[in-house]
Amino acid sequence: MQQQGGWIQRLLQAVKGQGGMLSGLLWAVGLLSLPALAFGADVAPAAATEYRDIPYIGSRNLVWVVAQLHLLLAGFVLGVPIFAWLCEVVAWKTGEKRYDKLAKEFTKLLTSAYATTALFGGILLFLLISFYPKLMNYLTDIFFPSFIVYCLLFLVETATLYLYWYGWDAMQDGGKKKFHIFLGFMLNFFAFFIMIVPNSWATFQASPVVLAEGSDLARAWAATWNPTWWPVNIHRLIANVVLGGYICGAYAGIRYLSARNAEERDHYDWMGYVGNFIGVFGLLPLPFAGYWLMREIYQYNQQMGITLMGGFLSWLFILQAMLIGVLFLGSNYYFWLGITYRIPGSELKYRKPMLSMLIILLLCLGVWMTPHSLVASLEEARKMGGTHHPLLGVFGVMSAKMTVSNLMILVTFMSFIMYWRAGKEETAGWAKAAKAVMSSLLVLAGIAVVVLGVWGYFVPAIVRINYFSTSQVLIVLFVMLTITPLTALLLKSAKTTTEMVWGKMPPRAGYALVLNAIMVILLMTLMGYARSSSRVHWHVYGVLRDSSQYAFSPALGYAAAIMALNTFVFCMIVAFIFWVATMSDKAKAPHS
Amino acid sequence: MSEVVKLQLIGLTIVGSGVLILLLIRAQFVRVIGFVAIVLGLFTLVALSVPQMASLPPVEEKFDIATVKTPTDMATIGQKIFFSKGQCALCHTIGPSESARCPDLKGIGAKLSREFLFESLTQPQAYIYLDYRHEGQPKEYPARMPYINKNPIGLSKNEILSVIAFLQQMSGEPISVTVAELEVPGQASAAPVKVAQSGPVDVAQAH
Repeated sequence: MQQQGGWIQRLLQAVKGQGGMLSGLLWAVGLLSLPALAFGADVAPAAATEYRDIPYIGSRNLVWVVAQLHLLLAGFVLGVPIFAWLCEVVAWKTGEKRYDKLAKEFTKLLTSAYATTALFGGILLFLLISFYPKLMNYLTDIFFPSFIVYCLLFLVETATLYLYWYGWDAMQDGGKKKFHIFLGFMLNFFAFFIMIVPNSWATFQASPVVLAEGSDLARAWAATWNPTWWPVNIHRLIANVVLGGYICGAYAGIRYLSARNAEERDHYDWMGYVGNFIGVFGLLPLPFAGYWLMREIYQYNQQMGITLMGGFLSWLFILQAMLIGVLFLGSNYYFWLGITYRIPGSELKYRKPMLSMLIILLLCLGVWMTPHSLVASLEEARKMGGTHHPLLGVFGVMSAKMTVSNLMILVTFMSFIMYWRAGKEETAGWAKAAKAVMSSLLVLAGIAVVVLGVWGYFVPAIVRINYFSTSQVLIVLFVMLTITPLTALLLKSAKTTTEMVWGKMPPRAGYALVLNAIMVILLMTLMGYARSSSRVHWHVYGVLRDSSQYAFSPALGYAAAIMALNTFVFCMIVAFIFWVATMSDKAKAPHS
Repeated sequence: MSEVVKLQLIGLTIVGSGVLILLLIRAQFVRVIGFVAIVLGLFTLVALSVPQMASLPPVEEKFDIATVKTPTDMATIGQKIFFSKGQCALCHTIGPSESARCPDLKGIGAKLSREFLFESLTQPQAYIYLDYRHEGQPKEYPARMPYINKNPIGLSKNEILSVIAFLQQMSGEPISVTVAELEVPGQASAAPVKVAQSGPVDVAQAH
């Protein structure tokens, strides 16, 4: 009030001498406005808007769809360069030009895919700023320095991509090719950092650390190094390789189904094989990265771990088991079809092992999908003696699930090795001994995984989690890291008895490739929902509460409908990108 | 019609459309879309068949000082602050734990005076231990403890006193913080909490 009185006095002094009428008018206006000044003194400044909403769709649903599409596209544009670069290196090392062609075909997608990803990223940013200003202010205050780093990374990534793509034909020979491969490496190097910077924002929301006072940089750095940052980084990196591989496979599958001549059929059959190969290559270690992430979550906050594995999200893991199980079955099925149709004569040789592997996979899937507690009526529960079935309840616990997931990885690895060795005859003198060692390793590893799994029922949970489950993982990893180089060494001097025949796969092989890609995408959407819901009613777990009307986590059925929608829209966007990128090729191709 | 039934009907329609596409249409790309529709529809139907549990947020706690009548009430509020707004449990545990990133606070209310506790919360760098477990000059332990009375945590004096009351109660000590010390909102503090008189940095030796 004192200040307001002051400016009125100054104004009166300023108009002194301008005539009594003006002075009188000002007095009158001043007197009339006094009550307003009194009201103004009591009114607090308007509270900052914390949330905004849109009718019908709801702000949370819109952000959910756009964020998921952006993340899937980001996974695609980060996975494809890894895939393309690996193919280019194989072409450079082996001299097989078709790998170089494949790498180029996929790199061509990147320019339009990057633009689409950035478009969705921009839309997401605007939506977040509009709908969640409180949260965005909070995160900006902490992560401001890393926003700048992120922008700089985009600049160098874009420049590298332009050089990599537009320089492809000009850098084909000698030292230039080496430089081109170096550019591809740098493309992936920058892409990795583009992935891990925003990972730090998302993981900080799930596992925040207390921030002491300090410079902006120190606070951003401390928030970045939160407990789940690296487990998520590694998990996403591997998952992107898997996504890139399986999307390549799905594209090849669709093109194979609609191929018009033998040449196209051969090419896309081979492309499907490469895509599936890279997808499985990434898929095998992926569950271990997931296990590490869950361990870190439990170590960080046991309550969050329990919400995920034993709380309202526990049924989500039954769905996850179903999707991973179908993915393992689909990948193995594609291998088995390959052995049967591409390598004449192998069908009879491998029929029995394939049947055994199918039975093991189905049994493992059955155990993995067994819920701990059953949905039962009161009478059914009384008959069972509780919500836990006397027999099936045994399979619903983690000890059983860890065991079967490791066995499924081992079986898929066996399929992979079987396919690799089919149609070849080892000539090395030590081949017999090597094969005996490999077989023994596989059998012993399988037995050890089962024994540790059964033993796990009789020890405290902490012993099982810290020692038994970790040992199971290490055993399977050891088997893969031993047998893969041994097989590669063995096949280096092997004689090819039956040449691969491309283009003879039945149409169901194409559908198997599409199914695998859909499973991977659905898995990514499902686990995105899991990570987000594990924060329950917090924007930043335990720190910044979600006080909007959308602070609840929706039930699985509703969430699954959104996941299915996101998967479908993503597939259509990717199909559009492939169509646009290959349009000029079709125009150039001679009409048949 | 419940939401689940509506979604089930949508799922069934999508699966049915996919089947019709596969049966009637020869164009390969459209057939693949039909196949994808079947897969996604089946996935949604399976997800709708498991128990539908939503996670609802708990009622937000209000720390209304007017309701505080006894030091025990303060300790109850302090416990809530310890595990929520104060973020203490992000780093500290009460009792030994493998996941603890900072000192275990079990019995801390018995070991330290309330003045020292207040100072540790509001001036974490004021009293720093030296580490002699190596050759040469002792090293300072940089305090990782944030200023609890400043952002982003920003506890008020009343809230800090409540946390101290909780720490004392949890350690089996009589609560030395009184209700009379609480500030009524809108009034300035008449008698600030006595803080241990200290220079910029006090040093203790840890062997």
